[in-house]
Amino acid sequence: MSREKTIVLEVNGRRHRAAFPPHRTLLEALRELGHVDVKCGCEKGDCGACAVLLDGEAVDSCLTLAWTAEGRAITTIAGLGGATSPHPLQEAFARLGAAQCGYCTPGLIIASESLLRKTNNPDDDAIRLALSGNLCRCTGYTKVFEAVREVARGRAVGGTQ
Amino acid sequence: MYAEFDLETPERLEDALAVLANGDGAAVLPLAGGTNLVVDLRAGRIAPNRLVSLGRIDALRWIRRTDGRIALGGRTTISDLLRSAEIAQYAPALVDAARVFGGQMVRNAATVAGNIACGSPAADLVPPLLCLDADVVLTSAAGARTVPLAAYFTGYKTDLRRPDELISEISWPIPAAPSANQFYKLARRKGDAITVTGVAISISVTNGVCTTARIALGAVSPAAMRARGAEALLEGHALTPALIEEAGRRAAEECRPIDDIRASADYRRHTVHVLTRRLINEAWARLA
Amino acid sequence: MTAIAELPPAVPPAAPNVNWRQIGRPLERTDSMGKAVGATRYAGDYTMANMLHVKVLRSTMASATLRRLDASKARALPGVACVLTAAELPDRLAPTDIPGQTGQERQKTDQQILVRERVRYFGEPLALIAAETRDIAEQAMALIEVELAPLAGVYDPVEALKPGAPIVQGENNVVAAQKIRKGDVAKGFAEADLVVENTFRTQFIEHAFLEPEVGLAWVDENGVINIRVSTQVIEHFRYVADSLGVPHNRVRIIGAMVGGGFGGKEDVTVEIYLALLARATGRPVRLEYTREDSLVGHGKRHPFVMTYRTGVTKDGRITAIEAKFIADAGAYVFLSPYVLLYAAVAAPGPYRVDNLFVDGQAVATNNMYTSAFRGFGGAQACIAYEQQMDEVAKALGMDRLEFRRRNYLRTGDKISTDVPIRSAVWTDRCVEQAWAALGEPTKASDPVRIGRGIAAYQQSYGRITWLHDTSEGWVGVEVDGTVIVRSGVTDIGAGQTSALAQIVAEVLGVTLADVAVYNSDSAVTPLAGTTTATRALYMTGNAIKLAAEAVRGRLVERAARQFSVAPDQVDMAASRVFVADHPETAMTFADLVKLCAAEGIHRSELAMFRAPFTDRLDPETGLGQVHPDYVYGAHAIEVAVDTETGEITVLKSIGAHDVGQAINPAAVEGQIEGGAAQGQGYALSEEMIYHEGRLMTPSFSEYLIPTAMDMPPVRSIILESRSGLGPFGAKGIGEPALTPVAPAIANAVADAIGVRIADLPITPEKVVNALRQLASRPLLSAES
Repeated sequence: MSREKTIVLEVNGRRHRAAFPPHRTLLEALRELGHVDVKCGCEKGDCGACAVLLDGEAVDSCLTLAWTAEGRAITTIAGLGGATSPHPLQEAFARLGAAQCGYCTPGLIIASESLLRKTNNPDDDAIRLALSGNLCRCTGYTKVFEAVREVARGRAVGGTQ
Repeated sequence: MYAEFDLETPERLEDALAVLANGDGAAVLPLAGGTNLVVDLRAGRIAPNRLVSLGRIDALRWIRRTDGRIALGGRTTISDLLRSAEIAQYAPALVDAARVFGGQMVRNAATVAGNIACGSPAADLVPPLLCLDADVVLTSAAGARTVPLAAYFTGYKTDLRRPDELISEISWPIPAAPSANQFYKLARRKGDAITVTGVAISISVTNGVCTTARIALGAVSPAAMRARGAEALLEGHALTPALIEEAGRRAAEECRPIDDIRASADYRRHTVHVLTRRLINEAWARLA
Repeated sequence: MTAIAELPPAVPPAAPNVNWRQIGRPLERTDSMGKAVGATRYAGDYTMANMLHVKVLRSTMASATLRRLDASKARALPGVACVLTAAELPDRLAPTDIPGQTGQERQKTDQQILVRERVRYFGEPLALIAAETRDIAEQAMALIEVELAPLAGVYDPVEALKPGAPIVQGENNVVAAQKIRKGDVAKGFAEADLVVENTFRTQFIEHAFLEPEVGLAWVDENGVINIRVSTQVIEHFRYVADSLGVPHNRVRIIGAMVGGGFGGKEDVTVEIYLALLARATGRPVRLEYTREDSLVGHGKRHPFVMTYRTGVTKDGRITAIEAKFIADAGAYVFLSPYVLLYAAVAAPGPYRVDNLFVDGQAVATNNMYTSAFRGFGGAQACIAYEQQMDEVAKALGMDRLEFRRRNYLRTGDKISTDVPIRSAVWTDRCVEQAWAALGEPTKASDPVRIGRGIAAYQQSYGRITWLHDTSEGWVGVEVDGTVIVRSGVTDIGAGQTSALAQIVAEVLGVTLADVAVYNSDSAVTPLAGTTTATRALYMTGNAIKLAAEAVRGRLVERAARQFSVAPDQVDMAASRVFVADHPETAMTFADLVKLCAAEGIHRSELAMFRAPFTDRLDPETGLGQVHPDYVYGAHAIEVAVDTETGEITVLKSIGAHDVGQAINPAAVEGQIEGGAAQGQGYALSEEMIYHEGRLMTPSFSEYLIPTAMDMPPVRSIILESRSGLGPFGAKGIGEPALTPVAPAIANAVADAIGVRIADLPITPEKVVNALRQLASRPLLSAES
């Protein structure tokens, strides 16, 4: 397509250079570039499975046009940590059984991290509110909530680590 | 899904306005958070030739208190509203709406201007802004004009904004104290849902008399509306339960809801009545 | 080796066993970390070079004749590799019967793969397009010219039964019927002091798994069609092969971690389309449903209309139940006969009812076809029988729990189909504990009212016994002492594979980290059967346990010779093998394995586990064994209802279930918590709305599942009778976790507002209308 433009997307600290048409969403672009840890659930912004951090704030990558993400730091779930060195949220989700089928998990952890970066020691209501855009069909959110709360309290300024 | 258009990503407001001015009428659309626009685009409900992304234009994203007014730039996000001390202090109704606006990711991207411009009668920020007597500034390459939000909507998904204009600023007078404003969103689930009935109220009270009453309704008419008949019942009076009940009933008569998959018109009317009464009662009790 | 399960004798409650090392511990699951860090690969995360992208063109009418379909412009579009219509598949049909049967006769329910002439539901596939990119495939879709002529359709199963109603297919609209005739209901009703009749209705429900249907297929160098797909059933390779007219060993299905199933990936979804296109193009092909494809395009939960008449004595003993069911089967049969059967078996609930009359019909309409969904008819029946129990208690003026207590089934009693239950029936304990856990009622003031509800249930685990269900599994030990498990089981998120690792770790005395599980590949993993019907732990867990025990037996025998003791004196734990009474006499597990390997002792085993095999039920009476066994439990709910707006908030949600034995309690809790959410959505916010067969809720902003803001923290109470047929006395939890939740909520709302809303979902609007009606009644009688 003649409308394609080569852009640079910085994902988890790594720069990708690739050509995309204007209508290409960030979700499509990321998965095309191999970042299949970003999941597709609805492509309408209703489910949150595709959430990534853009400059540290969670957005639905299915609602973001790829060109508009150029010049911004994109972080996916894999960018927060890996199995040998997991991020505290990843470790808590795994240990507490907050992931069942796991498909919504990347989006949930991204949304949780976005909350924790913005709010010191969020209360229970704030946690629920921050996660209400991430649909989960397996867990009922109970253990998800426990995991996020545990990390939030541990990370709280003045809290125990 | 598949759509062809050109996409501009200017860094300066003037450049964005120039693209809009040179557009072919409705075939150029501004793109802010994209939380409605991208969905409409992919569904084929809109087919612009060109989109102008405002994502790089920080000049449109700010919140300030000046000269007895609160003002914010059009690209202020819903999350920005929730972080703002000024909004928390002077516009709790807007905070009420922002809290339950979509989910976190949508709040981080969606903008105040976008919510107004999307034209949905269920747009949740509009009723609170109507209660605050907000004005919007419409800016184009040719200049700027200020329009009261109450006059902005002219019908279902029709408004005063020309295709070459952006909503660059929204502002409202800091309510004369003592006053209270509040918004309640009724929907079919508590998180991230399309509004069934939205009611915003604002009252100011001096010497036991309600000096200003504002009642704004969302999702129950072709465009968000003020229930002016109900307001008139309250202004200038000491509020009593009977008067507040009457205002609730009147507001329910004034709205023009439809039946849809979420609720019937009858239920919507009923909830306008109930919620108007409840919110005014609560505000009055707080101020009395 | 094989083992045939026999029903154990009636068992008293077991004492806690303190000797297990892995079983019963809430270990971090083997799949958890991969999911938490985004490393787990789902079926849609695989791509291949030269891959084509597939789109499905669907009918925009529910009942129509396909007059014309012209794909020539689409085929001519550059980048389009192939367009398939029914014209290219003249004699091929897709089987839709219950999956995974071995050698059993199929029902004659095969249906068209793509519409030939007759469209019977909105969204029925008309054509398949394979193109170089998704964009081109979408463009091509728009170029296919379709002419549909509407035909009269029928959209309500009650209407569809009336003479003169449009016939969806075949001779009449009744696609299945099920009876139970037990005892003498006429006599039972005559003995009753009170007869209470009510009708309950449930709605179309969507599975709403977060991962849409997706797969990738290719034909390999041996001509085998390989399909990597998100599925609950790898045994569908048989159906794919039959559809394509190729031998069964020429189709391979490779599952991946499934992003949610709940029964929605139990039928064939994208497999046949992928196989056809891979074969037609000679290239790898990938199909991922959009969310709209998924909502429109796969079978839903059967709506049921259920009319109950219950006769009771004034001291609260049930003397007779008559239950009539009408289920909307939608446009094609799929699993309707079995859903109806399960509903019939579940009809009286976990209660002793000697006189039972059930008449059920599954009726075709031009709505979307309906098929498997967690609970499988047992959930719908519970929505009726538990609401009815509350209504009867109310009519008697008796406490709701006391009324139940007077009627519970007990171990050894006979269920609806006159077959005794041998395992523990701990309904009373579950109800008492769930109810007690509600604690003090939350305080509220007008206009908010608080209400509490309980629901108990009976839900089967294991498949219908005349299907002669089996499961195979393989366990082997490597020379370094690590262990491999191979099982065809599909892991749909409840920890199916981790449970196998935990079982093997227990049997062989190693840790979870020492066990690697390879699963869900029809070419290389022994076929374990479907992950459905709450059977995976029972069947697959037993098969793997048998295999592990066989290996253990041989290793122990060799160690016993080494230690000069009898084999029953050898124990294995912490990767060591030792004499139980003299643990210093020991060797490492790895050393023992090396020893065995050097001597040619067989250190692996393929085992088969068989469920009880029975014959089909007597069609006239519906009596006989249907399932291997049942799970019993309860769910308790407290709600707050705003009587002015009708909004309902669930404040407390507590599930108490006798799972036999929890292999991993955290996984069991996870199921109870998730079931609580699905049940809450079922009761309050979820409804797939069809107008003249057209779906009006084709997205997650219209079909509303509970969010984190809607769900209270769910509390799980796990009871363990150790009386189940599964490994270590386990029963199951997958479906039971959901079954009692919606009726418990319905009962709580009725308790709060004094009137029952008998049609789900209970929306705020229905609450307001019910209260208005109540207020306008001229006489407020004792019943309100």
